[in-house]
Amino acid sequence: MLHNIGATKMEKSMSIEEVVQWTEVDIETLRNLLQKLRELGYVEFVEIAGTEKYYVTPVGITKVMTLYS
Amino acid sequence: MKIGMLTWEYPPRIVGGIASHCLGLARALADLRHEVHIFTLDFPGTPAYEETEEGVKIYRVASELGHPNFLTWVLLFNHFIEKRIADVSQNVKFAVLHVHDWLTAPSGIAFKRSIGKPMVLTMHSTEHGRSGVHNPDSSTIDGLEWWAAYEASKVITTSDSMKSEVCGHFRLPWEKVEIIPNAVDSDKYHGSVDRGAVRARYGVQPHEKLVLSVGRLVPQKGIEYLIQAVPNVAWRFPEAKFVIVGEGWYRDHLQYLAGTTGQSWRINFTGFIPDHELIALTMSADVLAISSIYEPFGIVALEGMAAGVPVVASQVGGLAEIIEHDKTGVLVYSRNPDSLAWGIKHVLSNPDHARWLVQNARETVQKAYSWKAIAKRTVNLYREVAR
Repeated sequence: MLHNIGATKMEKSMSIEEVVQWTEVDIETLRNLLQKLRELGYVEFVEIAGTEKYYVTPVGITKVMTLYS
Repeated sequence: MKIGMLTWEYPPRIVGGIASHCLGLARALADLRHEVHIFTLDFPGTPAYEETEEGVKIYRVASELGHPNFLTWVLLFNHFIEKRIADVSQNVKFAVLHVHDWLTAPSGIAFKRSIGKPMVLTMHSTEHGRSGVHNPDSSTIDGLEWWAAYEASKVITTSDSMKSEVCGHFRLPWEKVEIIPNAVDSDKYHGSVDRGAVRARYGVQPHEKLVLSVGRLVPQKGIEYLIQAVPNVAWRFPEAKFVIVGEGWYRDHLQYLAGTTGQSWRINFTGFIPDHELIALTMSADVLAISSIYEPFGIVALEGMAAGVPVVASQVGGLAEIIEHDKTGVLVYSRNPDSLAWGIKHVLSNPDHARWLVQNARETVQKAYSWKAIAKRTVNLYREVAR
């Protein structure tokens, strides 16, 4: 999802509230999913002005591409 | 000739064989003095435009609008690619557009209409073959593939089996589809590697046997059959280790499956590894096992053959056309762990025979699968449609 909605690099990272708007997944579930993806190396986060923002890593992009290539 | 090439993956944005294919073809076309313009998607850390040493011009397009639905996102990024081609074409008069797979077909079709130039489509695989047409999104992808094949002046497939699939499924005239195989850059495998050091990085000791698998971790690659073959191979070769290279959505299941064999300690899932490391690892393996259940071409087989590693592969699709059984590799039954185990053991048990297979395979690759030869055939096709 982060891939398709454009959060593909640090400068385009999105806060969890923004991701909730796109995904319509409740915030706690989403936080757990993002944490799991982060542990696997597919997602990274950066703190900007006290807000955690998430983006998909190059390895995560590759993972997404395996679905459709 | 000025060629516009459209692909959603181009190095370093790479997952399957399409990126490698486009890279090899673009370089070879540039070597033949053609002007190649690649239109592809952006990737972190890469410039929006670059011209390579070979003269290939690469435009990486950012999709400025996102969408949670993959298909909608694809149509959106096609729009941005189309805009970029339109800008470039104000200064470049393209003779032909070459689209790779359905993902960039909408922009290719639109632009072919606007500039009145022919479009060539390479179908590397089909939705029907990859996963079956199983849901509404899948039906749309299948429809886009048909549409692209319909709009193309010529369709390229990389193997005879793929031509049959494409002609049968999309009801294309036989003469509209041309077989131009994939190729491999053999020079990549001419350097020397420290086998011991490379193997050690993957937990394989000098006296152990390294069975390598390379491919996306998706069902069509049949990795589960290789995992199921592990106990059989290990019974005969207790020193065998299995290194599975690749990434994909099926990985969790495959790792679970590896755990059920009781042999997971000898199975190493590496994930995606860089190209230079993959070359070194391939050259350091004792056997390359390809367990695919669907393989339109199977470039990994060519890479193994060029790297000098004996190849054991399922007798499906392009693999059955590339490999001559027990002469340039070993073919085994697909979806059959026992057959795959037999093939691996056959190679590991007969080192002299394995060396003979490797020698024959290298000769075949050099004769029939060089990028220069494939680029010349592709140019002939471009000229035919551009007349």
